Amino acid sequence: MDEMNFTASAALSLGVELELQLVRPHDFDLARDASDLLARLDKRKLPGAVKPEITESMIELNSSVHTDCAKLLEELETLRGAVVQDAGVLNIRVSGGGSHPFHDWADRRIFPNERFRFVVERYGYLAKQFTVFGQHIHVGCPSGDEAVFLTHMLTRYVPHFIALSAASPYYQGEDTSFQSSRLTAVAAFPLAGHIPFVTDWAAFIEFFTRMKDFGIVASMKDFYWDIRPKPEYGTVEIRVCDTPLTVRRAALLAAYAQSLAAYHFAERPLQPSRDIYLVNSYNRFEACRYGFGGDMVDPHESRKKKIGDDVLDSLQRVAPYAARLGCGELLEELAAGVRVAESDANWLRGRQSAYGSLADVVREACSRWEKGKRE
Amino acid sequence: MQEFLPQLPPVISHAALFGALVVLGLLAGEAARRYLSLPRITGYVVAGAILGPQALGLLDDNMLFDLRLLIDLSVGLIVFELGFRLDFKWLRANRWLLVTAIAESLFCFWAIFAALVFFEFRPMLAAMAAAIGTATSPAVVMLVVHELRAQGQITERLLLFTAVNTVFAYVLLTLLLPFLHLEHEAGWEQALFHPLYLLWGSIVAGYLACMLMLRLAAWLGKSEERQFILLVGMVVVTVGAAHALKLSVSLTLITFGMLARNLDKGYAVLPVHFGHGSQLFFVILFVLVGASLEFSAFSAAAAAMVAVYIVVRFLGKSAALLAFGAPSGIRSGGAGLLSIALVPLSGSAVVMVRDTTTLYPEFGRELAAVVLSAVVILELIGPIATQFALRRAGEAHPDG
Repeated sequence: MDEMNFTASAALSLGVELELQLVRPHDFDLARDASDLLARLDKRKLPGAVKPEITESMIELNSSVHTDCAKLLEELETLRGAVVQDAGVLNIRVSGGGSHPFHDWADRRIFPNERFRFVVERYGYLAKQFTVFGQHIHVGCPSGDEAVFLTHMLTRYVPHFIALSAASPYYQGEDTSFQSSRLTAVAAFPLAGHIPFVTDWAAFIEFFTRMKDFGIVASMKDFYWDIRPKPEYGTVEIRVCDTPLTVRRAALLAAYAQSLAAYHFAERPLQPSRDIYLVNSYNRFEACRYGFGGDMVDPHESRKKKIGDDVLDSLQRVAPYAARLGCGELLEELAAGVRVAESDANWLRGRQSAYGSLADVVREACSRWEKGKRE
Repeated sequence: MQEFLPQLPPVISHAALFGALVVLGLLAGEAARRYLSLPRITGYVVAGAILGPQALGLLDDNMLFDLRLLIDLSVGLIVFELGFRLDFKWLRANRWLLVTAIAESLFCFWAIFAALVFFEFRPMLAAMAAAIGTATSPAVVMLVVHELRAQGQITERLLLFTAVNTVFAYVLLTLLLPFLHLEHEAGWEQALFHPLYLLWGSIVAGYLACMLMLRLAAWLGKSEERQFILLVGMVVVTVGAAHALKLSVSLTLITFGMLARNLDKGYAVLPVHFGHGSQLFFVILFVLVGASLEFSAFSAAAAAMVAVYIVVRFLGKSAALLAFGAPSGIRSGGAGLLSIALVPLSGSAVVMVRDTTTLYPEFGRELAAVVLSAVVILELIGPIATQFALRRAGEAHPDG
């Protein structure tokens, strides 16, 4: 059970993973050049890492560990620039966004490595349909108990992260009417969902051991939860975000997660409660479907509220912690966007109505990602 | 005899002929794939050769001449689609790629030219044969890529280099025309104006077709169905116009395709896949190519020369790729596979040779002995080579 030893890490340290789309320029469908691109990037000296993902149409950027969001943004920008440059040599375009608007999942090819082959063997077409693109945010925790606590606390904010990052309105060539359609693809997996209601690390290990003894899971990787503790990194991992259309927005989301964690660790305003899991799937649906305009139920206040309003209230609450962490301005930027209901999903729909086809939407999203800092 | 009954034997219309060729070609292609695991093209070509004037003779020379427009139409659609995939931005982002593409054409041309001159062919003849040999067959390459649903770096480069060496070959052939005219003591007016007319005429025609289509596409709006019909309609009109104006169909249509991709600043044209529609043209094209193969050109004396031609052509292409492939971003081992994939010789070499033959019959016949024999061999080997290379590169779809 060594794998379940919780590696303590500095509280509020931060890391980000971004899954990106590789697009071929001649028709803006997904490309399949991950191996060639990764081989090129391998020869460079880069901070963080660039890794393969389940299909050959995706790659994943990993930041290194940071405490300062400005530094994180800078590093993501460096990674972004390197990927875009090497992709240009291979005639591949790169884009953010939670889903490719019109690719055909049956065309996807699995990246040749053992883990991914196993996943395909096990999950069949679900694996290829899983060609969706998310941002994962890791927040460092000093102990397993704190990680369990933070996991329960952050569950309340799942609709926030969904609405703030929503960037997958289109799927399989259609407007889904959702702001984020990506999470529906995740929900199909048998081990999707959320952590059971345990209150410390010992209880969590007990749960994990039973699941392992049942032969249902082999490692933490097998849980496709929205938020999960990651003992080997010593972090809590938020997995509900779509990859935003810019690295800047990715850093804004990370800053929000960090400030929330700081607030909950410092003030402990609430204790874990089962009630959050009563309202979770309702909140999650509302956020996926309507974004900021959806309703969410706060079990502690027992009433409905617009998700956008709740995000703004929450941003205000954590503002002092953000200021101390040096990311106050980033959160202000985030709040300004929420006030005018700005989201990547809306931006994508705007491109569709301006140009009239989904190929144009993909092209515009690529240009936005590739432009980077100059925006 | 009643009036409503047909004459005996019934007169076979072109429509019936066309349909029959498509069905027979299709069956032969499927058989080649199912029983011999060969590319379908090989089946189409063999079916054509069997039906053609040199075997069963069901397709005679007159019919082939009548169906010439159909060949042009098929080639037109294919080179348009090829041109339409060619993104100048890639060449700008990757200068080594441009170098590789140009080197691929140049090395190949000089290698064949030098070898033929060494074996005491007249320089004029050697240059024409070398120019024809530079081009990879757009049709074979596109069909194999379609059939295997191939995707990836080798496939993209294969299409790019094919587009570049096709343009290179046509331009070079046109530039050689004045020398040919002068050798045959034609007037200087003809020597000067014929190539100018061919080259600029084709480019201007392609440009005009492109500008017209961009306007029309913008007006029609972003509907795949309407744009598909527009695209096919414009290609057919342009082929017809090029034909009527005695321009080069390939050069006109590849210009049309390349400009339609690269001048479309307002993004009026949707990315269109010709899909099953183009398959129909592929079948008919290769059946007709098979029927036009000149087996009679073969002779023991020519055989050695043909072997030299084929080997030197391959060496020229691979030398360029091995020299410049790595800096242009080809993975190790990729350059070799790409050279193999580029083997198919353009079936329109037959057309080019025919065109020369009509101008200067004697010269054409000399050229024919080498080039047409090489075409016969490479029409059969080429598709197999491309299929092998793309499969080996791991770029064919697992079910392709």
